[in-house]
Amino acid sequence: MIYKIISKGALADLFAGLQETYDEVVGPQERGPAFVFDKLSSVDEVRLNYPSTILPPTKYFLPADERLFRFDRSTGDVYDSEPAQGTRAILGMHPCDINAVLMMDEIFMGDYVDPYYETARKSSFIIGVSCMPEPGHLCAAFGADEIHRGFDLFLTDLGDRYFVSCRSVPASELMDSYVRSCEPSAEDINDFQERTKRFKEAFAPMPKMDQLPLLYGAKYFDEELWERIGDDCLSCGACASVCPCCYCFDVRDKVDPGGKTGMRHRIWDSCLKSEHAEVAHGHNFRPTRASRVRYRFFHKFVGNFSRTGKMLCVGCSRCGKACKVGINPGSVIEALQKEYLPDTAGVEVFKGGGAS
Amino acid sequence: MTPHLFAAAPKPRVAVLSLASDFGCQVALSNFPQLLESLETIELVYWQLVLSADLPDDFDIAIIEGAVTTTEHEQFLLKVRGVAKTIITIGACAGTGGVPGMIDSQESLKQAQQEVYPSGQEGAGATPVADARLVPRPVSAVIDVDYTIPGCPIDSGEFSNILQGALLGVNERTEREPLCAYCKIIEAPCFYLMQGIAVTSAKAQGAATTATPCLGLVTQTGCGALCIGKGRPCTGCRGVAIDANLPAAREFVRKAGRSVEEFDAALRVYNSYYLEQRSGDEHHDSA
Amino acid sequence: MNYLNDMSEINLSLQDRTNAYRQLGANPFRPWPARITSITQLTPKEKLFELRLIDEKVREAFTFTAGQFVELSIFGVGEAPISISSAPSKQGFIELCIREVGTVTAAIHRMQCGDVVGLRGPFGRGFPFEDMRGQDILLVAGGLGIAPLKSLINHIHDERHDFGKVTILLGARNPSEILFRHEFDMWKHREDFDLIMTVDDAVDPVNPDVTWDGEVGLVTRLFDRLDIEPAHTFGVICGPPVMYPFVVEEMRKKQLKVDRIFVSIERRMKCGIGMCNHCAVGHQYTCIEGPVFSYWDAINLQEAI
Repeated sequence: MIYKIISKGALADLFAGLQETYDEVVGPQERGPAFVFDKLSSVDEVRLNYPSTILPPTKYFLPADERLFRFDRSTGDVYDSEPAQGTRAILGMHPCDINAVLMMDEIFMGDYVDPYYETARKSSFIIGVSCMPEPGHLCAAFGADEIHRGFDLFLTDLGDRYFVSCRSVPASELMDSYVRSCEPSAEDINDFQERTKRFKEAFAPMPKMDQLPLLYGAKYFDEELWERIGDDCLSCGACASVCPCCYCFDVRDKVDPGGKTGMRHRIWDSCLKSEHAEVAHGHNFRPTRASRVRYRFFHKFVGNFSRTGKMLCVGCSRCGKACKVGINPGSVIEALQKEYLPDTAGVEVFKGGGAS
Repeated sequence: MTPHLFAAAPKPRVAVLSLASDFGCQVALSNFPQLLESLETIELVYWQLVLSADLPDDFDIAIIEGAVTTTEHEQFLLKVRGVAKTIITIGACAGTGGVPGMIDSQESLKQAQQEVYPSGQEGAGATPVADARLVPRPVSAVIDVDYTIPGCPIDSGEFSNILQGALLGVNERTEREPLCAYCKIIEAPCFYLMQGIAVTSAKAQGAATTATPCLGLVTQTGCGALCIGKGRPCTGCRGVAIDANLPAAREFVRKAGRSVEEFDAALRVYNSYYLEQRSGDEHHDSA
Repeated sequence: MNYLNDMSEINLSLQDRTNAYRQLGANPFRPWPARITSITQLTPKEKLFELRLIDEKVREAFTFTAGQFVELSIFGVGEAPISISSAPSKQGFIELCIREVGTVTAAIHRMQCGDVVGLRGPFGRGFPFEDMRGQDILLVAGGLGIAPLKSLINHIHDERHDFGKVTILLGARNPSEILFRHEFDMWKHREDFDLIMTVDDAVDPVNPDVTWDGEVGLVTRLFDRLDIEPAHTFGVICGPPVMYPFVVEEMRKKQLKVDRIFVSIERRMKCGIGMCNHCAVGHQYTCIEGPVFSYWDAINLQEAI
């Protein structure tokens, strides 16, 4: 990895370089009281000190509604199954979101390779940016507050300048061609360490993760616990929509109005929907809200952990903000660790006042 | 190249039928840009809005708009169910009772009749108000319905998808969950959570208390969060979702500092019949 | 794949996951066209479809083990996971035994010979055929559970000399619901297979005049008469979920170890390639680590059985 120092003003040069090199440049920008990743037409639109976005940038690799192919019903021909082409620079991804993408890579580019995901992933140039923890952020508990790979460039904010980690050849070429930079001085490195220290100290106490997978297994059949959480669940699936580590999808055929041709596409799905574990003859393996909420967090804390050694959560807190009834990784871990929640401990509805 | 599913079968004969409604969904249908392509897959035998033909004795698919508000409607539906293999309802009136369903009891029916027709007579022709007026109900309260296309009005694209699916025997693909997840997909900031922030600012507090509570919490998804995307709260026109958790939603509304009565009143615009049925259930459950 | 360390000793070979997609560099979401070459009505609700992949390269790359499944595509209707019923040794053709139960299965039931459907697969892991060689085999099937077992039975049949005693217990609700009945009727007199058929109800609703001369009662009742050498026997069970605990109990009474009992389980495998998460059972995917699990694995997966 090569390290550079650039002035904040040089961000405009970097942006110009991205615009010339990639078909599209996206990054965090304001939308009402919230922030979203969207196409940037000017460097002035980007907000690199954003707290979080409504959807994570994983939407660029696994879109909410994606064409798989077109088909002709009368001949059985399948066509247009090639993944969409086009390159994209994603500016301003937080460490948690890059960590999430690395986990998605294991799922979509593991035993089998999803060509749609792989194409989108390989045609993306990722520029990470440092952040400061906001209330509710649990990334440190899940080890997702740091990132060491999975990006081309990473910008650490040192106040008046960025400490730039340059990981890939395209990133190095971009820097050389477009951005005035200098080697980090002893002072720069000192400031980088200071910044890291402030970042680590800014976290509120994190939930204890001790023995979480085993504890979850042990409490799996604690009906009272899961019914209490399930009774609150609105079954809306908003948490899954905003989760950078959720990847369930459904596959649907849509027939064109003429009836001859159509399109198969995949759409985001969620294990909180009642039809998620239903089989053809109608039997539902998770028929109750309680069983579905229990499965959701089981998959995050135990299921993926047993397969890959990683929990499917980067502590980004998007689900906590999206959930209107206060069900989130922190509250579930707390409920698991307490034998019984005190009666008075109703879950706070507006934790920190999110806007997503 | 190969013989195919239904390729040799004659086109299904389709009748578009109206009960009590404002024809809005039929207008939406007639504005469907790909209507003519759709017609290649069916034979349209009756549609008052666009055809002069009389209702034939037999047809395969009935597309029904409107709520059931008279005994005539009831008898008509029973006859239709006996003829058609497939029944598709379109719109809120046929699906949930819709706006007509706001009249949800014999008392409110009587009251409405007296207000609208103080003379007891209908229109200039002085026709007496039908004695046979009923408390409005959705079509499914009278006969079995195979496919429901919700919304006020319906989305013609969704209509086409469900119609083509029905022609292939695809089971009804009504989405079961409430809207909230889709607001996230279009990245529309949530009304409730904005109001949550708003508690700290007097100006926004005012806005929070005047806006109608968003009914997306319990309303069936599938509309693409059209209203929310345009900055308006959900009015519940697609009906209460199968997966909706109404008690938890009411509890949330209460905790958010809004009135549950106000929430329920907003829900009644399109979902009176559902709430009436449900209040019966709840009463029964607690009994 | 160290996550398999905690699983049973006899690992279902990962090679069972046939790599037709990798061999051909193909898109695993794109179905391969296959022509229906024969349709046999087995029972009032089930038909046996014989399919032939149209592309020769695909046909050659498409090798599988008994117990694996395919995703059947009817364009415009959708996809459904279906177990392969034919033996891997049957070259060039794939047989699927399909009950009309959902929209995709209803659609193929309306199709005719010569029609084209889409196939993706084969997916998942099948039975540990290589580990089973040289051993006695006890197969128990209930209802439609015979569909994946038929592939295994045919494969054992083709390489019969490699196996010890082979016992097949076949249960159905009534005589008309016994799948592959004509074939099995002929097997009753074979010396190299012990086949016992039993029905819950001896009255055949389709042919009420035909008397049933087989057993009546649940398959579990047949265990008393079996003579099993547990150290050299593999148990295989496939049927409705309610059947598993009872049949396993009988096998345990015969001293069969839980990791020598194999079950095939049903979930909603939508993608077949471990991505969509619909078939998750405990921490595993039915489409990747299953649908065949050792019973030990199955009881370690939450909600599996």
